[in-house]
Amino acid sequence: MTDMALPSRDRARLRRMAASNAGLLVVLSLLVLMLLIGAVVSDRFRTFGNVANVFEQSTGLALVSLGQTLAVLTGGIDLAVGSLISLIICLTAGLLDGDGTYMIPVLAGMLALGAAIGLVNGLGVVYLRIHPLIVTLGMGAVLQGVTLLYALGPVGSVPDGFDALAYGTFGPLPAAAVVTVLLYVATALLLRSSRFGRYIYAVGDDGNAAKLIGLPRTQVILFVYAFSGFFAAVTAIYLVARFGSGQPYAGANYTLASITPVVVGGTMLSGGRGGVMGTLFGAYLVSLLNNLLNFLDVSTYVQLMFQGLIIILAVSLYVEKRKSIA
Amino acid sequence: MLSLTDISKTFPGVKALQGVSLDVQSGEIHALAGENGAGKSTLTRVIAGVHAPTEGTMSFAGQPVAWTSPRDATAAGIHVIYQEFNLFPHLSAAENIYIGHERRNALGFVDHRRTRRDAAEILKRLGVAIDPDALVNELSVADQQMVEIARALVHDVKLLILDEPTAVISGREVDLLFERLHALKRDGVAIVYISHRLEEIFAHCDRVSVLKDGRHVATRNVADIDRDTLVSLMVGRDMHELFPPRRPARAAAPVVLEAKGITVPGRVRGAGLDLRAGTITGLSGMVGSGRTELALAIFGVLPMGGGSVVVDGTSFTSMTPARAIALGIGLVTEDRKAQGLAMLLDVAANVTASTLDQVSRRGFLDRRRETAIAEAAIQSYRVACRGPSQPVALMSGGNQQKVVVARWARTSRRVLILDEPTRGVDVGAKMEIYRIMQTLADEGLAILMISSELPEIVGMSDRVVVMREGAISGVLERDEIDEAAIVTLATHRDAA
Repeated sequence: MTDMALPSRDRARLRRMAASNAGLLVVLSLLVLMLLIGAVVSDRFRTFGNVANVFEQSTGLALVSLGQTLAVLTGGIDLAVGSLISLIICLTAGLLDGDGTYMIPVLAGMLALGAAIGLVNGLGVVYLRIHPLIVTLGMGAVLQGVTLLYALGPVGSVPDGFDALAYGTFGPLPAAAVVTVLLYVATALLLRSSRFGRYIYAVGDDGNAAKLIGLPRTQVILFVYAFSGFFAAVTAIYLVARFGSGQPYAGANYTLASITPVVVGGTMLSGGRGGVMGTLFGAYLVSLLNNLLNFLDVSTYVQLMFQGLIIILAVSLYVEKRKSIA
Repeated sequence: MLSLTDISKTFPGVKALQGVSLDVQSGEIHALAGENGAGKSTLTRVIAGVHAPTEGTMSFAGQPVAWTSPRDATAAGIHVIYQEFNLFPHLSAAENIYIGHERRNALGFVDHRRTRRDAAEILKRLGVAIDPDALVNELSVADQQMVEIARALVHDVKLLILDEPTAVISGREVDLLFERLHALKRDGVAIVYISHRLEEIFAHCDRVSVLKDGRHVATRNVADIDRDTLVSLMVGRDMHELFPPRRPARAAAPVVLEAKGITVPGRVRGAGLDLRAGTITGLSGMVGSGRTELALAIFGVLPMGGGSVVVDGTSFTSMTPARAIALGIGLVTEDRKAQGLAMLLDVAANVTASTLDQVSRRGFLDRRRETAIAEAAIQSYRVACRGPSQPVALMSGGNQQKVVVARWARTSRRVLILDEPTRGVDVGAKMEIYRIMQTLADEGLAILMISSELPEIVGMSDRVVVMREGAISGVLERDEIDEAAIVTLATHRDAA
């Protein structure tokens, strides 16, 4: 129909590459924009120390959002992560109570507990056929209740040296943040190049078709919720290492917060499209924004409002894009 | 290869299959014929492990089997190409072809290069020019069908079931498909072929089994029967009894709705038609020809990219469903579950749903009045149900359809559009629906009936409008209407 310099096939491939990485491109440009704005408005912002600081502060958010991304890729969502983080923070601090003797079994037990609770969410989605929104919302309420039964206020403490999990460094870089990047890269590779990764996209793209042609839909759904629960537990252990003790509402904000980087990073809430690298940069973007707002003396309450607005904006942005492509 | 004994399948309110016994041998192409709603799709789904049979036994490759999920059937070597695609729109053609059978490297990771190369090879063997990197949602419907077919060729299949694979492809692609099917047959694959195109059955199939109303009517060697015998087995009665007697032609009935140059980007290109009072206009064309989209644009569901709708002299260049309803236009959609009915509500609520102002006083519903209206509708449309308070979910497809028509008949003063009004309903309900359409037309309503079933178009229409590739390819007046003329207009580029 049209005569263009490029053969249509190459053009199509280019367009497709741009489309499939649209989220990544958008979030990267926003990141750069934010850095520029920050550098202009504040001298202290553009120091290496501050950038490293933002990198470090993004870790908790990035960890929990990694699990959330997989749930969203299948067309689901995990709204239990906030309460799950609170529960595991309290249990870890309470069980250790300043004593490092049983540190390894306690941490292993906590990770297993996170994955097991996630698995229960998955079972609810698959076998009770309840929408993930409801299953995980309900599970979140249950977990928050359990947490409050266990501890109404600050509880326990971590042994000496435990804070190295949060504050350790590789040379000039915060170790936890570096490990988080490695986890993201590994997950991205598995999503792209393992059969199971492919099935996660397929289930999110058309779950019914996946079932009809004999893909392991059940296993995929069980896995992503267990994965999300596991990473909520990882997040909790990281946070308790930072805080030094348990707080029954310490994870409360992470439910909403974990979704922001996912949608900002271009993963569609309808499932089947997106990826974890966009989420990682989304987490950086959110942390950077909070950092910038701190420099501008904006209160954390207003920061929360910003987060809510960003989610709505990000989703509307991508919805618009989809219409114009279709 | 496959043997079914006394298979029955009951859904709430519907006996979809009753005592079907059937065997399919390796190295044969076995046609499955029957009208819409005869149970072909249900049978396919039982074989594929989607539905567990309510009664009966199944054996495959000599072993008794009872699938618990499609996964079991797939693992055993059964592959189904369903009528509605099971493709992943945001994966590439190559990824779709190899989904579940990924090409992997020595480390067990997906080998993207090999996937692409092997997919290109298969597509070439199929004789189609599809870019293996193209996302499936960018492909035409015909190309999507070819990707579905390619997917069936990449792994060891013992039984291949194809449900209407040629509904959206044509000419050369159909030939290439059958070339592959004959090759598979020579390799000993058992093939079940479902099609409404009888000529394909006679040209390519070895045996044909006929289903009717969920029962197995007969299995014959294709060589032993002729077309008329097959049709009478499928229909179970003479065609002429199905349709109400033709009415005398009305002289110059007034045009109540005129669509002019309607365009829906990518779907409909400048299509126009006019609807006359008391006249049934059939709208025919292949699946994907833009029939449904044209209707949806007239009713305001799809935005018009150009053109106008003229109703009683007033011209509208944009339409919304609310405006269409206010103008006295009704639309019975193709998919009554998705768009037409509140499945959990009862008959009464569904009948009065769009005319609530007639059954309410000061904002409160007058349930007694609603029941009275529903009872009248149940009588005049002969809806088989327990009463106005039965939830429609528990009724058969035919009776659900009557409820939808009853509702729209209450609001449609000028035009009623029916998209595939008899899809998935049994013969008895079909006749009822035809009678209702006839009655509504006699009362002066202009009816536009979209249908894929040619006998229905021919049997019911006073005029037939045929679409091809988004445009009107011809209009047949009463004396010119026959199946051959419609097929010519629907398929050939240079039709007279």
